[in-house]
Amino acid sequence: MAMSVAERSVETKMQPPGIDWRGRVLDRAPFLVACLMLALIVAIYGSLQSGVFTLDEINLDTAAAMTLMLAATGQTIVLVRGGIDLSIGGMISLGTVIAATRFTDDPSTTALWMVIILALGFLIGAFNGLLISLLKLQPFLVTLATWSILNGIAMIILPTDGGSIPGWWVGFASAQLFGLTSPVWMLLALLMFWWWFRATGVGLTIQATGSNEKSAFLSGVSITRVNLVTYGLSGLFAAGAALFLVTQTGAGSPTIGKDYILPSVAAAVIGGVSLFGGRGHLAGTLIGAFVLTLIGNLVFVLHVSSYWQPVASGVILLLSVLASSVAEKAARNRVQ
Amino acid sequence: MSAFLARNRLIVLAYAGMVVLLLVTALFSPGFLSISNMRSTVVLAAFVGIVALGQTVVIIGGGIDLSVPWVLNSAAIVMALLCGGQDLPLVWVMPLLLAGGALIGLVNGVGVAQFGVPPIIMTLATNVILQGLILVLTGGSPTPSAPALIQFLSVGRIGGFPVIALIWLALTLAATLLLSKAAFGRHLYALGTSATVAEFSGVPTARTTILTYVISGLTAAFAGMLLTGYSGQAYLGMGDAYLFTSIAAVAIGGASILGGSGHYLGTVAGAMVLTILTGLLPALNLSSGALLVVYGAVILLTVSIGSETFSGLGGKLRGKAN
Repeated sequence: MAMSVAERSVETKMQPPGIDWRGRVLDRAPFLVACLMLALIVAIYGSLQSGVFTLDEINLDTAAAMTLMLAATGQTIVLVRGGIDLSIGGMISLGTVIAATRFTDDPSTTALWMVIILALGFLIGAFNGLLISLLKLQPFLVTLATWSILNGIAMIILPTDGGSIPGWWVGFASAQLFGLTSPVWMLLALLMFWWWFRATGVGLTIQATGSNEKSAFLSGVSITRVNLVTYGLSGLFAAGAALFLVTQTGAGSPTIGKDYILPSVAAAVIGGVSLFGGRGHLAGTLIGAFVLTLIGNLVFVLHVSSYWQPVASGVILLLSVLASSVAEKAARNRVQ
Repeated sequence: MSAFLARNRLIVLAYAGMVVLLLVTALFSPGFLSISNMRSTVVLAAFVGIVALGQTVVIIGGGIDLSVPWVLNSAAIVMALLCGGQDLPLVWVMPLLLAGGALIGLVNGVGVAQFGVPPIIMTLATNVILQGLILVLTGGSPTPSAPALIQFLSVGRIGGFPVIALIWLALTLAATLLLSKAAFGRHLYALGTSATVAEFSGVPTARTTILTYVISGLTAAFAGMLLTGYSGQAYLGMGDAYLFTSIAAVAIGGASILGGSGHYLGTVAGAMVLTILTGLLPALNLSSGALLVVYGAVILLTVSIGSETFSGLGGKLRGKAN
């Protein structure tokens, strides 16, 4: 029924050049809708609250969104591969409890544990990828199972919220350089990373495998290696999200990770990343993460109950996927 | 008989796993096989089993329903609010809330079947929207206690049997007939195996897809009302655990998450396995963290047994033996 992305983009190129711009706009429709939503939210927010268009506000909002952005970066890589990673919830919880129980005032010990947490994230993710490939299992079920296992281990290490994070690491999130705090620099770094990564051999292979696994395999791509790297990176970014999250909470929590699983998918989908693989850009995901975070601010300045926030994010999510499916249909019609 | 075994290998394995687990648990805590303990195990498993009925049907059709937690929770809260602890309003409240659950399912199904929204996103969206609406409605405060009639349905007994176990048995029979005998069942397996082939073979794919989500909405809403009776009160977050357990029960019961295979009879065993595990761990002095680790390991183990790699291996071994 649905034509693969690879086939479609080839055929799109054969259109007469005169109507090509329409095709290009339609292909980016979900991303453009996301930009429009963000602009709208910022406009409403800015008109109701003074001081929205200041560096302080940008610093604050980026810090609030950064955990989700890191988690959603890994999720975007997995979604572009055509998979899904539910285990990031477990990895984030595990990362925060290790940090809260092992970090000390001595920066070198803490740095060592940070490296351990990041390495653990990559290895556990790679293990997911290995299971998916070797046993030919569905990513949804494998990562659901490892989510449960990691969450369980986190609860064994630290049964309830607690522990402590050294002050110097908490201060990292508000450290400034040229008036911008570290989360803003991290945001720029994420964009740079994606700009570099998508053009690398690994990035291209992941995208090609997500577009059409069979033809990627026939072109000599090792699917096992692709899965290993894809889910490994997802685990790595989840571990990174945990390290950032503890600067915001100042403690570890064995259950906090689950709050990022589905929002990470939602942020990517709002930003125009396709759940069918092969299509998506991290810039869209980051905008999606901002949309989801700023809805909270909006609900606050509109003086309505904060309980409206989930309703608003659900409606926005639905609007975004409807925009995507309209774009898909239009693309299909254009080809025919 | 051997043909039956070959076709339903995974379901048979799920029941075998359940029996082994029962025996192992009985070894560690001798009182586990007592009548009263088995009764409470079945009651707890029934809640998972009823929610997982809808989930099974949706998954066989190739979808997934993430809206289960808040459909369940919404039904529980609204029932408690509308009844105010009285039995009489149940006459109209129960049908109303079942219809409400079906309506949410209809919205999910139409989004998936008509608008091409991926099931994960569609049902995730309805879930958070319901969550928000219920929070707005209650303002986050607890609700009145459950009517006595609902409490009877979930903790009462008829002739020594828990009422909810009888309800579960009836639902299992109905689901088995629906999946194995009705045209809907044939359509469902065709749809889950390949939507394109099913469509070209004249299967009403859109209608079948929508119906799966309607059934899931119905069972989740029903389970929500019963669960209120069990805990004596409706509270926020009471459905959250059922997302994981309903999917896990289906997976342990041998259905493929890709759709097209599996049966509710397998899910019944899956629900029992999950509940027995919950009872086993206190006997072993293990924490709730350990329970999550075991849950994950059991899911990995069962889906591995069901995977192509393993069945391919089994086939090869049998080939050699012949």
